[in-house]
Amino acid sequence: MKNIRYYACPSSVKDALALLNSRKYKAMALAGGTLVAKTLPDTVETYLDLKALPIKGIKLQGGNLVIGAGATFDEIDRSKVCRAWAGGIVAKAAAACSSQLVRNMATIGGNIARPHSFNIFPVVLLGLDAKVRAVSGKGSELLSLPELYAASPRLRPGANCLITEVVFPAAASKWKCEFVKLAKTDSSWESYITLFLAAEKRGGRVSKARVAVGALSPRPFLAAEAEKAILGAAGAGPAAFSAELEAVRAGEYRAAAGAALLGRFIASL
Amino acid sequence: MKNEILETKDGLFTVTVMVNGEKKELPVRNSESLLDALRRHGWKGTKKGCDTGDCGSCTVILNGRPVLGCLTPAVTAHNGEITTIEGLGSVHEPHPLQEAFVEAGAVQCGFCIPGMILSSKHLLDNNPMPTEAEIRKALDGNLCRCTGYVKQVEAVKKAAAKMARGRKK
Amino acid sequence: MTDLKPGNGMNAEELKVVNKPVRKQDALGLACGEPVFADDQEFKGLLHARLLWSPHAHARIKKIDVSAALKVPGVKAVLTYKDVPRVPHTTAGQGYPEPSPYDTYTLDNKVRYVGDRVAAVAAETLEAAQEAVSRIKVDYEVLPAVLDPFEAMKDGAPVIHDEPDSRNIPDAKRNIAAKFDFEVKNGEWFKEADHVLEHSWSIPYLQHCALEPHTSIAYFDNFGRVVLRTSTQVPFHVRRIVAQALKLPVKKIRVIKPRIGGGFGSKQEVLEDIVAALALKTRRPVKLEYTRKETFVSSRTRHPAVCRMKAGVKSDGTITDAEMEITLNTGAYGSHALTVMMCSGSHTIPMYKVKNNIRFVGRSVYTNLPVAGAYRGYGATQGFFAWECMMDMLAERIGMDPVEFRRKNYIRLGEGSPVFKAMGEGREGVEQVITSTGLFEAIQKGADEIKWAEKRAKYAKQSGPVRRGVGAACMMQGSGIPEVDMASATIKMNEDGSFNLLVGAADLGTGSDTILAQIAAEVLGVKTEDIVVTSSDTDVTPFDVGAYASSTTFISGGAAKKAAEKVRDMVLAVGAKILDKKPEELRLEGGRVVAADGASCALSEVANTSLYYYDQHQICATASHYGHTSPPPFQANFAEVEVDTETGKVRVLDYVSCVDCGTAINPQLAEGQNDGAVVNGISHTLSEEMEFSSNGTPLNASFRRYKILSAADTPPVRTFIIPTWEPNGPFGAKSVSEIGINGPLPAIANAIYAACGARLFDAPFTPDRVLAAIKKAGKR
Repeated sequence: MKNIRYYACPSSVKDALALLNSRKYKAMALAGGTLVAKTLPDTVETYLDLKALPIKGIKLQGGNLVIGAGATFDEIDRSKVCRAWAGGIVAKAAAACSSQLVRNMATIGGNIARPHSFNIFPVVLLGLDAKVRAVSGKGSELLSLPELYAASPRLRPGANCLITEVVFPAAASKWKCEFVKLAKTDSSWESYITLFLAAEKRGGRVSKARVAVGALSPRPFLAAEAEKAILGAAGAGPAAFSAELEAVRAGEYRAAAGAALLGRFIASL
Repeated sequence: MKNEILETKDGLFTVTVMVNGEKKELPVRNSESLLDALRRHGWKGTKKGCDTGDCGSCTVILNGRPVLGCLTPAVTAHNGEITTIEGLGSVHEPHPLQEAFVEAGAVQCGFCIPGMILSSKHLLDNNPMPTEAEIRKALDGNLCRCTGYVKQVEAVKKAAAKMARGRKK
Repeated sequence: MTDLKPGNGMNAEELKVVNKPVRKQDALGLACGEPVFADDQEFKGLLHARLLWSPHAHARIKKIDVSAALKVPGVKAVLTYKDVPRVPHTTAGQGYPEPSPYDTYTLDNKVRYVGDRVAAVAAETLEAAQEAVSRIKVDYEVLPAVLDPFEAMKDGAPVIHDEPDSRNIPDAKRNIAAKFDFEVKNGEWFKEADHVLEHSWSIPYLQHCALEPHTSIAYFDNFGRVVLRTSTQVPFHVRRIVAQALKLPVKKIRVIKPRIGGGFGSKQEVLEDIVAALALKTRRPVKLEYTRKETFVSSRTRHPAVCRMKAGVKSDGTITDAEMEITLNTGAYGSHALTVMMCSGSHTIPMYKVKNNIRFVGRSVYTNLPVAGAYRGYGATQGFFAWECMMDMLAERIGMDPVEFRRKNYIRLGEGSPVFKAMGEGREGVEQVITSTGLFEAIQKGADEIKWAEKRAKYAKQSGPVRRGVGAACMMQGSGIPEVDMASATIKMNEDGSFNLLVGAADLGTGSDTILAQIAAEVLGVKTEDIVVTSSDTDVTPFDVGAYASSTTFISGGAAKKAAEKVRDMVLAVGAKILDKKPEELRLEGGRVVAADGASCALSEVANTSLYYYDQHQICATASHYGHTSPPPFQANFAEVEVDTETGKVRVLDYVSCVDCGTAINPQLAEGQNDGAVVNGISHTLSEEMEFSSNGTPLNASFRRYKILSAADTPPVRTFIIPTWEPNGPFGAKSVSEIGINGPLPAIANAIYAACGARLFDAPFTPDRVLAAIKKAGKR
């Protein structure tokens, strides 16, 4: 941080990318700044402030929920569109982020670009099959979260490309969803486990199941065994999930509590 | 102006900001936080409780929303508008929220209070009659160890009522 | 509204200023962000201090090389143990002679915990100071460390204080920083008991988390004296202990306490020696502001404790025997080691009548972990967790309602306890009996508010994974340390009939300036706004031990009242001359001297007469006060909780706390004290715990990871003040500041048990622990 020499606040994605990829500026993108402002590496010489970019809108597009990467947690929490889409699950998740002041600053884009175990949105994106638009000097790509992770280091959001929007697919809007941050207190930043659960029921049986797990590793994962078990017989989900959590060394507590929360969700379907 | 690139001179950026309604040209250090810059330039009402974005003592309203001054690089306030606690009112002419915090007995040590009041102001500006849950949610970034938040929630309710009466007049 | 017992010929209903919710005097300035805290003033030529902290839990400094640090541009001084006097002292800001061991040095050639002081730097900028700190080369001989107090007491454990010059350590070889045993024996142990229960309770490392970090600025006045503008609760002890540590005469030091951003005991610790040493070395003003991490690790904490209790009960509810064995972890230094340990017994054991035998065994033990010190509750927090859970277990064992059980056994008006005399703070205590109590009414009010009987019955039959329960806990504390704590106040009169009140009492956000003004105003027949308060400045204000031990209202309030009474007599003497009456015929009322026949004159006339006409003199008086007893406030706490038995998550739905603090000098501020104490206690209960790696490195020294409750996490807390009249207190007052923090641990533990049958013995009750306890209870 001590080597900062320039500050830029471009108003177009194109200009931002030009700065990001310029050798002269050695820029790092700054969205809300809550995760990076204090920890920029000394190699960075330019604050590239993203706040003037036109990437903040929240809208429905052909049933898809499209959230601009610059939208803050607070804007997502208060958005009527988000509060209505898929039972308001995206807004509910945004509200679960630690504090109002962080929610005022932190953006959905930054939350994806900077992987951390306790980030909220990656779990939600994974669970809802959402896609992320990454724009680099070479063009724009729409990637799922696993694809985005796999594209590193070719795509490093904030360093050589920008996330401009997140697209939650229309199909998911019909799912029944639940988001749980199991923590010491409601406003804890840390959590024991963060769960995004979703399911669709057809003709009395579960035809689609999503169990996304956060807080255990910098990147969330889908509990494939649990999902498979639910599709077989919904009641088998919790035990499979518990075993799966034990297998990733989540510990007895997380395994038991995670299974219980999944069991409750299944019972509510 | 948005696409200009500011450059440091001797490690300092010169930022143009409106602070409490007055236009200022402030020299700020290259990696300095808005909190440190404001305090260095005399706005001591903005407090440093943790410097890690967790306590809210450094809350200021930047471009219309309360933010953590400690996690905001000072230079990013360039061309922006800032309201600090000093911009709300003074002991000679306090803001209704400042009055209400005093009346409700919500000020103990007072270190968190400037931030708490600025968060409350933003809440009431956008939601003039908040519920208790809405107040608690809006203040959940402003930690207080003295009061248990009881009288602070009461103060915001009082201020809301007072400001509503003010608007009717 | 009030139901006051008469006493002292006074009645709270006759009070005009006291017992009224007057505005806190400093509140508006604070709400407007006035620059009133230690760090809010600019000093020309200010240097910034940074300290090098030990990375090892236990090590000897073999070699320390500061040459590279001194070469960093802007660095003005680097101090190591070689550069400062070696004076064993305690950092505990207690009355002299302090009952804590003298085991601390400004800087030493040995480090005893991760976060101990190694060296200090002063530089033109914070960055330069930090850079210099990183360039100090230290060659450590790493020593074996011990983190567990029970291990530390064993033969062969590393000896943490092996230095020959420390003093008052009872057993340095076994790392025992303090010990105290006490027994009342009236027969064979547990002979009369129908049931005997035994268990242990534990409390982890907890930090105060005052929002303002420790901040001190040392500068020089124009006589070359050191002035310390510092965030302290104990300005006079700071002056004395800094003088001692740096071998300076007291007259060379002035301590100014500005507004303080909370303390809760952490600022009862004298850490100002190092910044003063840097100023003396550089001859420049120097500021030392702890970061939040440093505040967590290198200021002070609550003493972690393991408290084992064994108690006997008869089937009729008589408590026959009680044995309490407490082991406190005092960390690397023994600050408050003896006194916190003794208070864990002296504030708890007298609470209930024990028919036959009482035993207290206390140890405070050194470990290579952060230093514990004073923290709101001061041992009673640790002690009552065990006692009040034990009371619940005894009641359950004999099939008695736990509230009924407490009602049967608590100490009554006029009753004493052998403990009062035997256990003081670091020495023998004083004999005393209870001279006021509202506990009966407090229990009644609390039970009504929480709907105790109704909910106990209703929640007895529940199904489903989410269960509710209500629990209770009662407690007492003290009001100052009798025959130790002393406070003084000076009052002088101004021309307009206003008064200056100068007090050494340290308002750290508690509102003590305001309540002391109310007490003086009541005596002088004026409004609180007519009293201009100055606190505290060792050059200007008279002595006061400072803000601790729940003493300010009771002790400093007594001094303010006495000083006001002296001034009242002086005013009346002048008024008598003006009105041509005898002083006995006169009283002060509404800012005037008033005679029985209605004749009167304004206080401004009295002031001007005294200053310019009659027997010219300044109407001014100083008075001191100390207590011969320490009347306990009492409290009844009731918690309603909801336990998710599948995730272990506990929600506090309601918390009612009824406190008897005698006359509340300012009911609004008294409620605020209690609300804050209670929420701090709930935060201890549900969330807080400092964590360490196996080599003693702190793991969660930040607000983010050591989570204290936010507004959104906090349940509605309801405080009810139960008025009584304490004859020994000013206008019937006793203390209120600490007691509330002790309730939540036992009240919530008992409520969790009522909800789901799981007893929690180890704080905090985090979801993982609660779930484990539920599983264990289910297996039984």
